[in-house]
Amino acid sequence: MTIDSRSAVSAGVADRGSAAFEGRAVGESWGRVAARSKVRGELQHAADEALRPCLDVVVTRSTRPHAEILGVDAARAKAVDGVVDVVTGADLHALLGDAIFTGPAFADQPCLAVGKVRYVGEPVAAVIARGRAAARAGAEEVAVDYRELDPVHDVDAAVRGAPFVHDELRPSVVFGDLAHLRGIRDTNVNYEYVLRHGDPVEPPPGSVTVSDEFWCPPTHHVPIELPFTAAWRDGDRLEILSTTQTPSYVRQSVADLLGLPLASVRVRTAPLGGSFGAKMYDRLEPLAAALAWTRRTAVRIAVSREEAFLLTTRHGAAVTGSMTADADGNIVAADADVRYDTGAYADVGPRITAKSGMVASGPYRIAQAHVRSRCVYTNKPSAGPFRGFGVPQVTWSHESLVDELARARGEDPAAFRRRNLLREGDVSVVGTPMHSADFVGCLDAVTAALDWESPLERPTGRYRRGRGVAVGIKAVLTPTISNAVLQLNQDGSATLLISTVDMGQGSDTIMAQIAAEPLCLPEGAVRVVAADTDVTPYDTITAGSRSTYHSGNAVRRAAEAMRDKLIEIAAARFGVAATDVKITGDGLVSTQTQQKASIPELLHAHFGARGTTLTTEADFRTTWQPYDKRTGRSPQVTEHWFAGAAAAQLTVDTATGRVHVEHLAIAGDVGRAINPALVEQQLTGAAIMGVGHALFDQLVFDEGQIVNGTLLDYQLPSIHDVPDRITPIVVENPHRTGPYGAKGVGETTIIPLAPAIANAVRDAIGIRFTRLPLTSERILDALAAQEEPS
Amino acid sequence: MSTEITLLVNGERRAVPVDDDDLLLDVLRGLGHTSVREGCGVGACGACTVLADGHSVSSCLARAVRYDGAALTTADGLPADDDVVEEFVAARAMQCGYCIPGFVLMTHELLAENPDAGEAEIDAHLEGNICRCGTYLEIRTACVNAARRRREAAHTEKESA
Repeated sequence: MTIDSRSAVSAGVADRGSAAFEGRAVGESWGRVAARSKVRGELQHAADEALRPCLDVVVTRSTRPHAEILGVDAARAKAVDGVVDVVTGADLHALLGDAIFTGPAFADQPCLAVGKVRYVGEPVAAVIARGRAAARAGAEEVAVDYRELDPVHDVDAAVRGAPFVHDELRPSVVFGDLAHLRGIRDTNVNYEYVLRHGDPVEPPPGSVTVSDEFWCPPTHHVPIELPFTAAWRDGDRLEILSTTQTPSYVRQSVADLLGLPLASVRVRTAPLGGSFGAKMYDRLEPLAAALAWTRRTAVRIAVSREEAFLLTTRHGAAVTGSMTADADGNIVAADADVRYDTGAYADVGPRITAKSGMVASGPYRIAQAHVRSRCVYTNKPSAGPFRGFGVPQVTWSHESLVDELARARGEDPAAFRRRNLLREGDVSVVGTPMHSADFVGCLDAVTAALDWESPLERPTGRYRRGRGVAVGIKAVLTPTISNAVLQLNQDGSATLLISTVDMGQGSDTIMAQIAAEPLCLPEGAVRVVAADTDVTPYDTITAGSRSTYHSGNAVRRAAEAMRDKLIEIAAARFGVAATDVKITGDGLVSTQTQQKASIPELLHAHFGARGTTLTTEADFRTTWQPYDKRTGRSPQVTEHWFAGAAAAQLTVDTATGRVHVEHLAIAGDVGRAINPALVEQQLTGAAIMGVGHALFDQLVFDEGQIVNGTLLDYQLPSIHDVPDRITPIVVENPHRTGPYGAKGVGETTIIPLAPAIANAVRDAIGIRFTRLPLTSERILDALAAQEEPS
Repeated sequence: MSTEITLLVNGERRAVPVDDDDLLLDVLRGLGHTSVREGCGVGACGACTVLADGHSVSSCLARAVRYDGAALTTADGLPADDDVVEEFVAARAMQCGYCIPGFVLMTHELLAENPDAGEAEIDAHLEGNICRCGTYLEIRTACVNAARRRREAAHTEKESA
């Protein structure tokens, strides 16, 4: 029961302490920022802050999956003691018009239903009251008159045709490439991505093809901190405090909703108690903003866990896939038809559909690949981003298929993958080359950790043992923008202004280290300010493992500009050329005259005052080349790639159907680890979340209604579900434009996790599972079917 | 019905008026102890854990009126040099940190009952607390080290006595 220390690191790591790195921050496992106050619970999260008196808002939710709203009777609700007001979607629509339809890809979701409800649990009316208890009591009393419509719950039924969840498609203005979809009617498919690489040919003689139909169920993020938003008017401005990963997005969305200038909307965040994609884009903010603004009052929305389950989910996805290898064991063709169930509102589903479609055939050299990836409306709660952004669902398919293909050829699954994996410089099927994505290094690391080459002890009784491996690929979100403002204080401490949100991934620590490096500042010297759109500059989003690279680059540039400023000031003071001045842990030094000045001395003399600040700023932007509409290909579809691998050794109890993971090895190519301890925690934490997805974690629906939406019913990994042994392996192939070579890590090991476990189960009991999760019931059923004489 | 009850919160006597339905969770948060957190509302995640007379309680399920006169401990009220806190910090047993105060108090309860607790006892005692960031290995290490520290301290005390 141990975490192994960094048991393997691939070649190519830049030397620490070399001339390129002045400071002693990058590559060091500095303690997590606010570690002690987190342990003692003193760190203030959004709902912990003392606010001005707020009215509480609780919504009345739809009890129908698909229905017209004929009327809302709020009379009884308004009579409840403490209830101040009841607001419907029709009320807000009358005041704000179609602006109440918001969303990152499609402007299709109203904060309160207008005319129709599209899932069980959709907000229909908002009850504003003094105290949460009164608001809840009021919400119970709102009577809604419905005319039921035929619902559609199954993703494939929705693809085939009526009933339609929306009368017409409403792409948002955010993405110009979706504009052509506006007004399209009579479909539930709101987006389709197609990849065509190479020409289809007859499989050559001696080739082997495997195919199957895969399913990943919807799941929930369940960050333990519940979503919370408060909003109030401050004169002609609106202020919001919210649990969000996307403060810059929320500011724009709320400004659009209310027709306000950006400067009139302030969105403030506090450290998040986890998120994993649950707290981004439009969640509680549009409703809180609309109520606070139109009712000229301060409101607070604190949802229960049961309500949080309805706010967003991870897409369930069906994949019909096939793969062909030629007689020499090279993958020559891959085909994937992917259907993402995005629920009643598209959210960012169309982006997930495209970005996951690009990698649906895996990180392999493949002569001919065809992918069709569709985003499909159904009458269920909206699905949105979740750690991995749709890629774990397609990885479930391609890593199961690759495993079967190797077995069909009688070949070791690791060796088969190794031959076919993309290498540095290879161009993937989507047309973009590989760099700093060492799939082979990750595969080698995890298989070595499991001692893959040595024979496995395979008992033949009740407990059967097996080993499995899987590899994953994901593109980083591109194009995006990050900004950083750095204030160096006269005493040598620094204040960093960025809109990256620390939600447990450790960005405050990582960014402090990147800022400290060029300035040779010690641990603890850099304070990172929590995102506040009045103060911190624009950042696209904190998501998709993008912050270390993007915000990190902006921070590095701001810190290097600061170093150059200090050198200039010191050169003037020393009377030497700037090229003669170096910065060290003790301050600035002239290599020519040996004159020295610490940062406090230098800035005190420069400004003639104590407590002064020196400021620099920088931005960092990535660009892409949009993919060709016909082929889905682009020479620059992403700024960089994530590469990860997982290998599992486990036993299956054939009496109970339980899986026991004995050893789990996980590896990710992070370019360069800014903080190796934090990287290992991300690798391990994502893997433990992945164990849940592999074995039990799922949202269960009945006629579109979530039936396990409480933590009594929804199973999450506990301390008992942790494998006996976990080996996190940091693979480092520095990225040429990463800050000190670094890339992100938050999603890397969740991507291959479920197929690695299923492949090990296949190895143990000879059964291929195509539907997640591998519950004990499912395993027992399959074992029973295996025993039946055919 | 509103009743005035007295709670001894982290050693400080607090008189609070409560309604019969008021949850201990909300009362403690109202007194400023925001280390006590609602994660599920059904006693299934452990984020709202407090100690009442040394025993762990899911404060999201506990009616405050039942705790009149009880000595309550919240993580934010632990002493500055608390041994369990020290071991959690040393083991890096936190990511977002939201659930950690609950684990810290569960560890206190366990070690008060059984300073010889090994990994199996630790796992059994912490099984009701959820860390969604997946920091379980570090938490277990912190707990093992806190137990060792507790035993060593007891040993030193015995020697010097």
